[in-house]
Amino acid sequence: MTYDDGRRSVPVIGEISFELMPGEIVSIVGPSGCGKTTLLNILSGLLAPSSGEVRWHGETLSGMPPRVGYMLQKDLLFPWRTAVKNVTLGLEVRGERRSEARDRARALLDQLGLHGFVDDFPATLSGGMRQRVALARTLINDPEVLLLDEPFAALDFQTKLLIEGDTIRLVRGAGRAMLCITHDIEEAVSISDRVLVLTRRPTRIKSVYQIELQGDRTDMMAARDDAKFAAYVRSIWRDLEIAEN
Amino acid sequence: MASTTLPGSLPSTQRAARRWSAVKQTGLVVACQAILLVVFLAGWEWVTAQSRQTAFLFGSPSAIFGFLVQMWKDGSLFRDAYVTGMETLLGFVFGNVLGTILGLLLWYSRFVSRVVQPFIVALGSIPIIALAPMVIIWFGTGLASKIAMSTLSVVVVALVTSYKGAMSVDEDQVNLMRTLGARKRQIFRKLVVPASLTDIFAGLKLTVGFALIGAIIGEFMSSSEGLGHAIFKAGSLYIIPKVLAALVVTIALALILTWVVGKIEKLLMPWRKI
Repeated sequence: MTYDDGRRSVPVIGEISFELMPGEIVSIVGPSGCGKTTLLNILSGLLAPSSGEVRWHGETLSGMPPRVGYMLQKDLLFPWRTAVKNVTLGLEVRGERRSEARDRARALLDQLGLHGFVDDFPATLSGGMRQRVALARTLINDPEVLLLDEPFAALDFQTKLLIEGDTIRLVRGAGRAMLCITHDIEEAVSISDRVLVLTRRPTRIKSVYQIELQGDRTDMMAARDDAKFAAYVRSIWRDLEIAEN
Repeated sequence: MASTTLPGSLPSTQRAARRWSAVKQTGLVVACQAILLVVFLAGWEWVTAQSRQTAFLFGSPSAIFGFLVQMWKDGSLFRDAYVTGMETLLGFVFGNVLGTILGLLLWYSRFVSRVVQPFIVALGSIPIIALAPMVIIWFGTGLASKIAMSTLSVVVVALVTSYKGAMSVDEDQVNLMRTLGARKRQIFRKLVVPASLTDIFAGLKLTVGFALIGAIIGEFMSSSEGLGHAIFKAGSLYIIPKVLAALVVTIALALILTWVVGKIEKLLMPWRKI
C-alpha cells in the first residue's frame, strides 16, 4: 500500500509518503499536534486528503477500506452492551449470524484473558480490561491492517506491557499489518519493525528507523534486554527534541 | 485491605454488613422525612386552631383529611383520580412517543434540523393555557380535549430532549461505526437510539408533571369530572380544604407516575449503576 499526503488550507500535514507492507508493524512518533490523528483518519477513509491519495493494494481508496481495524485511546465501548456484545458489533453490522458471532467473540475474549467477564457491562471493567475488549472488537472482523491511535496511552505501565504483548501476539500471529501512533518511544521500538519520526507542522517524515532486535518479538520485556534497544530510543528521542525546537 | 474488588468476591458476612448499613441509612432518611411531615402538619393544625380566619384561608390538616375521607366514601376520589390519571397517562404516552421519534429522526439530517429549529423553539414557548380554548373547540368538552392538552404540553419537550440526546452522541463512536462499515440506518439503530436513552428518560420524568398540568388545565376550562374539575369547583365555592384535598390526590398521582417511570428506566437500562 502506498500513500502520499498533503494539505493546503491549514497546512497540517506537509508532504508525507510511505508504504506499509503486509505483515509489517510500523509506529509513528512525533510532537503533539503534528497531525498524527489526522493522518490516521485519512488512512482509514474517514477524511479525504486535500491533495495526494491513499492506495490500498495498489488501488486508490474511495470510501472505507474493508478489513481495517481502528482503535483509539478511548475504548469507545457502548455502555449498554455487554463485553461480548461490544465485540460482536462489527459482525452484526455485516449481518453475521448471532450464535456464530457470539462464539467467535467469546473465543477472542478468552485469548485476551477475559474469560469470566464476557457478559459484564463495561462500567464494571477496569481500563485495561475495557481496552482489551476494544482490541477484541478490532480484531473480530479479521482485519488486514490495524490502525491504532495511542491505544495504550491511558493505561498504567504493567497493564500496558501486558496488552502490548497480547496485541503483538495476535497481530504477528495472523500476519496482519499494523500502524500505531504513539508518544511512548519505548513502546514504538519494542513493538515495531519500523519507526517513523515526524516533524512539527507542516508535518514531514524526519527519519525512519528499521528496528532489528533479537529474540522473541512478542515479549515486550525481552525486547528491552537487547543491546540496541537503548540506542534506538536515544536516537529517536534526539530526533524528537530537535523537532520540538 | 482494599475492598473495591469485583462483585461477588466479598465474603458474605461483609456483604450482609454493608447491606444492613445501607438499610440503616435509608431508615434514617425516612425517619427524618416522617418527623418533618408530622412537625409541619402539627404546626399547621395548631395555627389554624388559633384563628378562624387562618382556618378559612389555608384549611387545616384535619379538615383536609375529613374531605379526603368523604371523597373516598362517595367514590369521587377514585373516579376523579382515574379520569385525570387516564388523561395524563395517554397524553404522556402520545406526547412522548411523537416527540421522541421526531426528535431522534432529526439526527438524520443536520440541514433539516437547522431549518426546523426556530419553529420548534417558537412552538415550545407557547403557554399551554393559551391553547386551551382552541383545543376545546377542536376536540370538544370530553376526554379527547384533555388528552390533547396533555399531549401538547409534552410533545415539544420530548422532541427537544431526545434531539439533544441524539446530537450528543460521541462523534468518535459514530466514526467507529463507520469504520466497521455501518450504514446510516445501522448507526441510528445501534448507536444513536441506545445512546439517547439517558436523555430520553430524563425527559420522561420531566414530562410527567407537564402532562398532568395539561390535563388539569383542560379540566379547568371545561369538564364535569376529574381532579382538576374538583379543584376548580371547590375553589369557586371557596372551600379551601377541599381544594387542598384534591391537590393532595393530584400530587399522589404525579408521584406514582414518576415512580413507575423510574422503575421502567431501571428495567430498560440495566447497565446504569443508579
